[in-house]
Amino acid sequence: MSWRDAKGVRLAAAAVVVLAAALVLGAAPAAKRAPAGPHAIHYPAGAGRAIAERACLACHSTMLVTQQHKDRAGWEKTVHQMELWGAPVPAAAHDSLVGYLAERFGPAKR
Amino acid sequence: MRRREFLESVARGAAATAVLGSRPAWARRALAAPPGMIERADWPEHWETSLASLGRSWNTSNERFFVRSHFPAPSIDPATWRLEVTGLVRKPFSLGLDELRAMPGRYVAHTLECAGNGRGLLPLPNTSGTQWGRGAVGNARWTGVPLATLLARAEVAPEAKHVWLEAADHAPFPTVPPFLRSIPADKAMADTLIAHGMNGVPLPALHGAPVRAIVPGWFGMASAKWLTRVRVEAAPSDNHFMAKGYRYTYPGEDPAQAPPVQELRVKSIITRPLDGIRVAPGILRVEGFAWSGPAGVARVEISTDGRATWRPAILVGERSPFAWRAWQADVSAMKPGTMTVMARATDSSGETQPIEARVNAGGYGNNSIHRVTFRVVA
Repeated sequence: MSWRDAKGVRLAAAAVVVLAAALVLGAAPAAKRAPAGPHAIHYPAGAGRAIAERACLACHSTMLVTQQHKDRAGWEKTVHQMELWGAPVPAAAHDSLVGYLAERFGPAKR
Repeated sequence: MRRREFLESVARGAAATAVLGSRPAWARRALAAPPGMIERADWPEHWETSLASLGRSWNTSNERFFVRSHFPAPSIDPATWRLEVTGLVRKPFSLGLDELRAMPGRYVAHTLECAGNGRGLLPLPNTSGTQWGRGAVGNARWTGVPLATLLARAEVAPEAKHVWLEAADHAPFPTVPPFLRSIPADKAMADTLIAHGMNGVPLPALHGAPVRAIVPGWFGMASAKWLTRVRVEAAPSDNHFMAKGYRYTYPGEDPAQAPPVQELRVKSIITRPLDGIRVAPGILRVEGFAWSGPAGVARVEISTDGRATWRPAILVGERSPFAWRAWQADVSAMKPGTMTVMARATDSSGETQPIEARVNAGGYGNNSIHRVTFRVVA
């Protein structure tokens, strides 16, 4: 069992406990686990999500990506650097990955 | 690269490829962030301390100390770990943990701050790196041996000008450069510590066990964790994390030519009151910490009228070189409504916190003035 599987089992177990407690108390069950931090722990749906999961999660968690904001040129630069460092991005998937990141994690509105 | 290192790196690459999307087998299991910590990344662990937690004590506990690692924390057997001292020295040697612990050491309080602390508060439309708030900082008591002691034993050659701090952490892919920082030999000889203890106990795994560097008055990246080798050289390291990373780069500039991120910038935080809270009318105690690089904190001032006037806070508690200063001030909060308090620190060289720090591409060194808004409710 990988650590992520183990984490998933723990989360599932926790969800069962929360659900059981809610039913006993007559309250509405918790709909979703709140992230431990302020950043999304899963990639949002979209074309390119699968390659993002395969390529990026070998070295770091999703949260490191989902908290960042960059325009297409910014993500192009980042993905290029990661490819140089060995991130497993097939050449045919490069544009899809950059497009997904730029669309889902574009420049911050500050 | 030696044969053993090459084979290890090939094995790491193969392992990483085999378990894409999963933790490499050689790395320590990711730990859950303790309550009160802000989990900004779960692997490698990037944990920020909340201001409420920082405000509990001048001395930040190990459990509440921020965590920032470039790569997953390696599992190191302290029984077999050795530190090499090599390079431009006449008598290279290595030593184990027991020998290091038996050497005459120091027990000193030093503040560590991540160079990216406050990055998430900068008005950057394009960001890279962890989006820290204000809590990637802490103050701990470190036990260790002066690096100068080890260098003296090795008998450093006259042409030595830099000390490279090599560590055991690495990425799952061998093509990723290892994390490596070097510091000038003068800094290494002056006050750099080879630390094996943190707040009176052996270094915790996430803080560099069994041994890390502590480079006082410098941003945290210099204080390399999981040390394995001290290499004396004539030139600074040309590693990615020296040559390109950790530079104050502005639009149009080449990172390699930009000034390096080194010494801490003068800064203060307000730990009480917390932003957004409600308080009853009365005299309100405002508290926080202030720190700086080698110059040290000279004063802290607060303003409750939007910077029209500033009045001094009192520096209180323990005073120790390279450790932050606690400060406090009482303000009148009699009238119901919204109040904003700001704090600014000045160091002994005259440097003062800016209203807004100049934004650099990497989001380093954000020492903008901290402002906290709260409500007085009758």
